[in-house]
Amino acid sequence: MKKVININFQGRVVPIEETAYDILKQYVEALRRFFANEEGKEEIINDIESRIAELFAETLKKGSTCITDVDVNNIIASMGRPEDFESEEENVKSQLGGEQKKQEQSYQQTTNQQSFNSGEPRKLYRDENHKVLGGVCSGIANYFGIDRIIIRILAIVTFGVVFLPYLIVWIAVPSSATQVIGSTRKRLFRDMDDKILAGVASGLGHYFGVSAWIPRVIFLVPFLSFVTRWSHWGLFDFPHFLSLSFSPGATIIYIILWLILPEAITAADKLEMKGQPVDLNSIKQTIQTDMEGFGGRAKKFGEEIKEKAEKFGNEFGPKAQQFGNEAAYVARRSSRGLGGVIALIAKIFAYFILGCVLFSIVAVLFGVGVACFGLLPIKDFIINDGWQSVFAWGTLLLFIWVPVIGIITWIIRKLIKAKRNSTLLTGTFISLNILGWICLTFLLASISRDFKYTSTANEEVVKLSNAKIDKLEVSLSGYSKYYKNRKHWLEIEPFNGIVDDTAYVPNTRIKIIRSNTDSFQVTVTRLSQGRTKAQANELAEKITYSIEQKDSILSLYKGIPINNTDKFRNQRVLITIAVPVGKRILIDDKIGWMHDVHVGFNDDDNWTRDFYGEEDFYWETGKEYIMTDKGLKRLSSGKYTYNSDEDDDDDDKNPEELKRELDEKQRELDEKKKELDRDIQERLKQIEEDKRKLEKTIDSTKAYRYQKTASLAKPNAIATDVSEEDIVSDDNMRPSMLNSFRIAG
Amino acid sequence: MDIQNTQSQMRKGVLEFCILSVIRQGEVYPSDIVDKMKAANLNIFEGTLYPLLTRLKNAEYLTYRWVESNSGPPRKYFVMTEKGLAFYAELEKTWKELADAVELLTQPATPSDNNNQQL
Repeated sequence: MKKVININFQGRVVPIEETAYDILKQYVEALRRFFANEEGKEEIINDIESRIAELFAETLKKGSTCITDVDVNNIIASMGRPEDFESEEENVKSQLGGEQKKQEQSYQQTTNQQSFNSGEPRKLYRDENHKVLGGVCSGIANYFGIDRIIIRILAIVTFGVVFLPYLIVWIAVPSSATQVIGSTRKRLFRDMDDKILAGVASGLGHYFGVSAWIPRVIFLVPFLSFVTRWSHWGLFDFPHFLSLSFSPGATIIYIILWLILPEAITAADKLEMKGQPVDLNSIKQTIQTDMEGFGGRAKKFGEEIKEKAEKFGNEFGPKAQQFGNEAAYVARRSSRGLGGVIALIAKIFAYFILGCVLFSIVAVLFGVGVACFGLLPIKDFIINDGWQSVFAWGTLLLFIWVPVIGIITWIIRKLIKAKRNSTLLTGTFISLNILGWICLTFLLASISRDFKYTSTANEEVVKLSNAKIDKLEVSLSGYSKYYKNRKHWLEIEPFNGIVDDTAYVPNTRIKIIRSNTDSFQVTVTRLSQGRTKAQANELAEKITYSIEQKDSILSLYKGIPINNTDKFRNQRVLITIAVPVGKRILIDDKIGWMHDVHVGFNDDDNWTRDFYGEEDFYWETGKEYIMTDKGLKRLSSGKYTYNSDEDDDDDDKNPEELKRELDEKQRELDEKKKELDRDIQERLKQIEEDKRKLEKTIDSTKAYRYQKTASLAKPNAIATDVSEEDIVSDDNMRPSMLNSFRIAG
Repeated sequence: MDIQNTQSQMRKGVLEFCILSVIRQGEVYPSDIVDKMKAANLNIFEGTLYPLLTRLKNAEYLTYRWVESNSGPPRKYFVMTEKGLAFYAELEKTWKELADAVELLTQPATPSDNNNQQL
């Protein structure tokens, strides 16, 4: 059972057995090689092919259903094989003679020579004759005309980096054993027609039968991470280096493949590059067959190295020269020269910079775009319906999102090398973006007009139920129990309290001043911006902001309610708390940084001053302060040095107060002294007592001692006993020690 | 010295002349040339013929034209040019001399024998 395929051969459709087709292809390829030097090479091949096609047609006319192996072999026999021509063609003969001579030289050189002679581009094969593992190294050595030992040693030294490219080449490059002429085996090339840098990615794409952008992205993603994550720059971080993704390894692999893989130059190369798909089986087979006898070959390789090392010393001179020549050839092969290399490096650098810039632009715009979507709920509170709304949407979509999409589209198109309608697309994106700029301008102009005028300020005094208390705590009301847990994604601080169509804007500022009376006094000033003075005043009037005192707590509402018909026009509430001298004030923790606490010591109305300015720089919520003649002073002991500074100031200007304090302290000191004295006297008394007691006991002990000395005269015998026992035990020890010595001996 | 080598050298010399003489007789299709030569017991591979024809064509001794065929695409028919005719005449002259010389040398024959052969 044989597979029959239809081929279009010289204008005829020929049903042919697949094996017969392979034979035919080999034959044509052999002819191509044979006539490679001929002037009318294509014409000759064409003539022969059309004759073969004619013969096929005759065979089919005779009643055959398809062309078989036998048919093809017969035809080839009648046409003659290149070997047959050789005896008849003089120029071939001379070539043959030359080749015979060279066959005595090494295989490596013949391969080179052949390719030089025939003028055919050299091909990268895995060298079956000199392989250790997969023949990759010797294949590369053949390709570049370098001694394979050098490549092998390089490969072993840089194993970590070279490992993946080695595998790729092993799988994708055919072995010289399977180097049948015109084989259908796919080969890995760099695709010079579809390249961005060197065509490595597109070549890989062709080989594995995927679009070129897939390997491109695989190379690009790690490259970006290479750019953005500098921590991966550790070049000798091998295990990490190995992993293709998210490491600079991919970049290195790209460069290695770039150096190793041949360009697809001739039509045959391109055909081979795109050849039939590779299946897993063929890959498995390749590796399996190569692994057989690996151990023996590895041993041989070791011997080879030894031999070479010995030889190397003697041959260094001529070898170096040869290498120089070959290197020059390789350089010529790449046909670029120094200028080309510089241009290439510049190209790589340009891509690098461009990549970084585009990446950051996209990242920033994307971030802003997302944040704007997060701000959408508050849009209604700022922006008027009608044109302003249109401009706002225009800004968001055209100014922010269009460039993001545009750049991403551009990158994708660049990767897949799309060419159609590129200018149209670019034009569309640019004009949309210009529209976005216009929208942004109009939006900003329109909004700034809405905020143009400020309302006239009028201060109102808040009635306090109990103004004469000693301590006032300022706190916030209106928050739910879960206020502290409100950390949601994209909750934008100034507008955190949106309830239905009302937003609570904590646009309040607190100023603490010194009261001239002995009671607390709170005043509120409501202010707003507006398109006109009247509108601003009206909006300021509409502000409802409640301040209530309950016992010692002054509770402020969590924010100024703003509904979406009146819009947010920087409505704000300025609260002045006048604190009498000697009384304390505490601002609750809940009033965070959004409620600016401005601490003023004089009555200037300069509210526009930066709230984190000089005076309130050290202000802390949750701490008690006391009003003094000089200003506020923190009560609880702080860690800041400014306290001592302020105290120093106080020393100069408030001597009376200090004296009072000093007196108090003195009194305390006296008291403490008295206490101490009392203590000392008590202690002394006790000591006296103890002395007396001691004397008593000493007397009694004296009597005891006499008794003891009397009894001690006899017990000497016991003491000698003890010493004898010691000696015995010593004797006991000796044998064991001897034993241990013996063991040691 | 290798007999095959010598044989092929000898054949190669006449091959071109033989082919040209076939073409001189009129417009001809390459495979017809092979057939005619085979009929004359001069075996030639078609694969050798085509490069030779191309070379002769490139040297402007031959030209070709496309002739429609009953089956399949048009076929290339070769015909000799003026220059080719002159070239052939030269070759023919050389061949005649050579043949005479070879005959004289290889066959120490009588003049009568010689005459018989020519007839």
